[in-house]
Amino acid sequence: MLLKRIQPMVFQTRRLYVDIMFQVMGRALQAVSEVDETVQNDARALPEGLLFEMMVMPDGPRLIVEHTGNGHFHYHGESAPRPIDLSIQFKHIAHAFLVLSFQEKTAEAFAHDRMLVDGDLSYAVRMTRVLNRLEAFILPKLIAKRAVKEYPDSLHLPEKLISAARIYLKVATNFVETARA
Amino acid sequence: MSQKYYEFFCPVKVIAGKAALEHIPYELTGLAAKRPMIITDKGVRAAGLLDPVIAACEESGLDIVSIYDDVPPDSSTSVVRDIAGIYRQEKCDAIIAVGGGSAIDTGKAVNILVSEGGDDIAKYSGAGVLKHPLKPFFVVPTTAGTGSEVTAVAVITDEKKGVKLAFTSSFLLPNAAIIDPRMTLTLPPHITAATAMDAMTHATEAFTCMAKNPLSDAYATAAVKKVSQSLLDVMDNPKDTNGRLELAQASTMAGIAFSNSMVGLVHSLGHATGAICHLPHGLCMSLYLPYVLEFNLESIREPLGELLLYLEGPEVYSATPASRRAEASISAIRKLRDQLYKRCQLPRTLKETGKVLESQLDHIAEQALDDGSIMFNPKEVTLEDAREILRRAWA
Ligand SMILES: [Fe+2]
Repeated sequence: MLLKRIQPMVFQTRRLYVDIMFQVMGRALQAVSEVDETVQNDARALPEGLLFEMMVMPDGPRLIVEHTGNGHFHYHGESAPRPIDLSIQFKHIAHAFLVLSFQEKTAEAFAHDRMLVDGDLSYAVRMTRVLNRLEAFILPKLIAKRAVKEYPDSLHLPEKLISAARIYLKVATNFVETARA
Repeated sequence: MSQKYYEFFCPVKVIAGKAALEHIPYELTGLAAKRPMIITDKGVRAAGLLDPVIAACEESGLDIVSIYDDVPPDSSTSVVRDIAGIYRQEKCDAIIAVGGGSAIDTGKAVNILVSEGGDDIAKYSGAGVLKHPLKPFFVVPTTAGTGSEVTAVAVITDEKKGVKLAFTSSFLLPNAAIIDPRMTLTLPPHITAATAMDAMTHATEAFTCMAKNPLSDAYATAAVKKVSQSLLDVMDNPKDTNGRLELAQASTMAGIAFSNSMVGLVHSLGHATGAICHLPHGLCMSLYLPYVLEFNLESIREPLGELLLYLEGPEVYSATPASRRAEASISAIRKLRDQLYKRCQLPRTLKETGKVLESQLDHIAEQALDDGSIMFNPKEVTLEDAREILRRAWA
């Protein structure tokens, strides 16, 4: 009985968390692409105007960014101005939660068949590297080590940006703790 | 890894061993197929490898309705369309692909068109587009390496756009893979060596990369053992039927392993090198394998050390301290490469190939970073890392 009462709460919290994390990531992606050379170098090879989406199947939360050229991303929120070019799709909200709460690395999630790529695989490879780098930025080093394959030696970002992202993260972490229980 | 999860899938019936080809008519009949078409290449036909296949069918009163023997090494969308046209015209109802990677991929793609309809194979490219089972499809591999008979992927070049189209669907898997040692008995030494090293690489990467899992591990270790035990014997005695069968089975097993757990950086570098310098795939695998293992070493120490048992056998394994086994595995692979170099000059460095310019290394490194298989490499690879590995592999 207890389970029946608690489950919907967990589901709701998890969904809210994924929603918020997508927003955090979308904004951070745009911010990081304006200052970080490594991200820019990876992103530059993407076609200008490419619309990238990360979403939860079948029709869950999503984050959409556009490569506006020169390695810069623009965050579009949840709606795309044109058809999506590259989509990374989580099979279930539970899998998105694992990745977005940094319990599973993005590459691991691919390896574990948690998500699918729709679009050019070489672009997906680049976006995965960008996402890895992003996670290293917005997470405290300890958590980031769990979230990415390797923690980069050199991270140069304005302190302001990092702390802003970390505030989101703090809010988000509370959700993890609630949802994990 | 506390969040361990995996998927494993291989619905292909494996028909292997002596007189395996003679099972084709029975298996086709079981799928209600009466008018099979053979898809192959000129080399296979010239080597006389179709004769036993045709004879096996005719003896059972099953006519091969049509034979297409002009599959190029890099199959294209127009070839696929042409073959589908012949299939329809001749009212065929099943496909038998006889050959290496290209003939098999072509067979898979033709099967999409003749099952789903239309002339434009490009519209089926990507993952998960197909929703229904296709026509009866058998594969008879004539090399022991690619493992394409058990992979759910086909790659076809779109010559108009100059791009490679990838098709991924479990419906591409054949109904049966027929592994008959007669089909690989006449493979020339350097192809035997290169393709066997492709299988060795599939198994080694499947066992050491991120998506490894208990079921693919079992296939991978068995494949490593078979290649280690049989490759040099076959090189010395090419007509060794048992050895040939061992290598063919190893190739299929390694194919099952990597199609379920993916490959890593050896393949990323190999795909890039193949595209830029036009070197055969197996050769690239053999060439890069030890260098990439050295690069990944600290991330894969445990599984790589475990492979020593299958590479060198129980005596060497137990005599090697646990802390040295990973390095010993790399040495074993290097030793095998030296032996192959002695027997058929299979290149061990980029310089030894005589087909790569030092000035091309940067281009190879850049392209390797875009390859899908790099995602599953256990260690993150930067452009500088890739360049460094290539410098080491140079000479
Ligand atoms: Fe391969």
